[in-house]
Amino acid sequence: MQDSPLVKMVNISKRFGKVQALKDLSTTVQHNEILGLLGDNGAGKSTLIKVLSGVFPPDEGELYFEGKRINFSSPRQARRMGIETVHQTLSLIEIMSISRNFFLGREPITWRRPIAILDRSKMDKECKKAVGGIGIKVRSPDESVSVLSGGERQAVSIGRAMYFGAKLLLLDEPLASLSVREIRVVHEQIKRANESGASVIYITHNVYHVYPIAHRFVILDRGIKIAEIDKKDMKPEAIIEVIASGKMVKE
Amino acid sequence: MKEKEVMETQRERHSLLGFFSATGPVISKYPALGALIAFIAIFVTFSIIAPKFLTLRSLTGIFTLVSELGIIAIGEAFLMISGEFDLSVSGVYALGGALFVVLANSLPSFLAFIIVLGVAAFIGYVNGMITLRGGIPSFITTLGTMMVTRGILLAATGGFSLAYKGDTFVPMILSKLIGHGLRPSHIWFIALALLFSFVLTRTRYGNWVFAAGGNKEIARTMGVNTDSVKLRNFMISAVMAALAGCMAISRFKFANVAFGKGYELEAIASVVIGGTSLFGGYGTILGAALGAVMVGMIRIGLVLAGAPGYLYQAFVGAVLITAAIINLRIRRTST
Repeated sequence: MQDSPLVKMVNISKRFGKVQALKDLSTTVQHNEILGLLGDNGAGKSTLIKVLSGVFPPDEGELYFEGKRINFSSPRQARRMGIETVHQTLSLIEIMSISRNFFLGREPITWRRPIAILDRSKMDKECKKAVGGIGIKVRSPDESVSVLSGGERQAVSIGRAMYFGAKLLLLDEPLASLSVREIRVVHEQIKRANESGASVIYITHNVYHVYPIAHRFVILDRGIKIAEIDKKDMKPEAIIEVIASGKMVKE
Repeated sequence: MKEKEVMETQRERHSLLGFFSATGPVISKYPALGALIAFIAIFVTFSIIAPKFLTLRSLTGIFTLVSELGIIAIGEAFLMISGEFDLSVSGVYALGGALFVVLANSLPSFLAFIIVLGVAAFIGYVNGMITLRGGIPSFITTLGTMMVTRGILLAATGGFSLAYKGDTFVPMILSKLIGHGLRPSHIWFIALALLFSFVLTRTRYGNWVFAAGGNKEIARTMGVNTDSVKLRNFMISAVMAALAGCMAISRFKFANVAFGKGYELEAIASVVIGGTSLFGGYGTILGAALGAVMVGMIRIGLVLAGAPGYLYQAFVGAVLITAAIINLRIRRTST
């Protein structure tokens, strides 16, 4: 199993009407790897993430996860296989408590019939442990998410994904509109997730956000993969040049 | 230096501002607390200004009224927390009651009752489907179905009252006078308030109700079928309204087209007075029940105080606005 990559995409294509969002995209994500998925706006990054997270299937091409061919019918199914998405704004419900958010859609149950009863003590205990492990100080998991800063929210989302045993984390611009200090909090959290065995696909158009932690980069331009770069081969400035020009130029 | 700081914070805690910021977390843990404070204030006020207010007779009389309004408010609160409105509750209340009279006059009352609840569930289903599939705001959908249900009632009865001639079984279990003004409807109201409160705060479904109203998109991303949750809540709201309608019929023994006029707004007022957010995602069932108690106390209390009955609406309106402002403040300090 460890020989085959965690994710293998073969000739993935997706079009929306006249727009070719992805064309013949083939790439892999290795076990325990942080992959930076780069590209300008409209390059097809989000489409690729949605294909991987089961939001919609590709028009053509094959998707392999842990060596097995997969066809996701829903995000729920992808999540059950261990693929977790953390969106910049679509992860936590502000008005609800941290522990209710943490377990939303996967609530622990003490009693199933006639109506599923929440295991609230487990929710509070596990959530406190997981959130505390991230290094976020909250007085109680009963507090609403609105007391958390943007960085803490991302960290909680990532912590939640790891708690539920994510093998692949899809991070969609996790640092957009975060302060410098918060970026460090989120980076720490991503590294910790990676150290505990998860692979990460990190989407952004800002190379500096992902360069410090990524191992490898895939660059998209108008739906086509234009470059696959090892971190040791290229400086961030050169990567920006590739993204901006839409061409792979050898140094 | 350090000591001074400690003293400073202690003083702040004893000031009014400090008190509110310190009680913030308590209130966020017990969101019905604000409604409870308001309830005590209104209760004490009427006990002082209205001499006959504090008697078993008038209190049970108030509670009879409150039970019927409160059952509607419970369903309304459940729906509003999941992010939708139901203005059709008063129409369903009146139409359900009239249908109950018509059916019970030729069928066993229990069978008539079950059919009425089934029809109500169907109206709720229609409300939900139009809103969720049609993408129309529930405010508009249910304003429409309120007019439709009221219109059907008016057309079918020609504006005349219908006398109840059915058996006494359902009237007995819903609203038979037990003594001292106590009725089964009081128990139904309290039991339903506790039941729905439990479902909202302690069950997985309750978590989905909060999530559907808190942020539909995120809830969906996390695998919650928000449309199914909302659809069920539309049905619950309509069934509760029809149940209240059958209770009123059991009490009056006749149906009238004017029954429950304006109840939709009184129900929503009760829910808001009870601390539920108009935007969904936040609220309590016990608060809504207390809100209905307050509305009932104001209605009867003003009459007992000798104030003109016309003042009632103005008073409820003032309490509604005050409550909305206080609830917003409480939520701001607690978050």
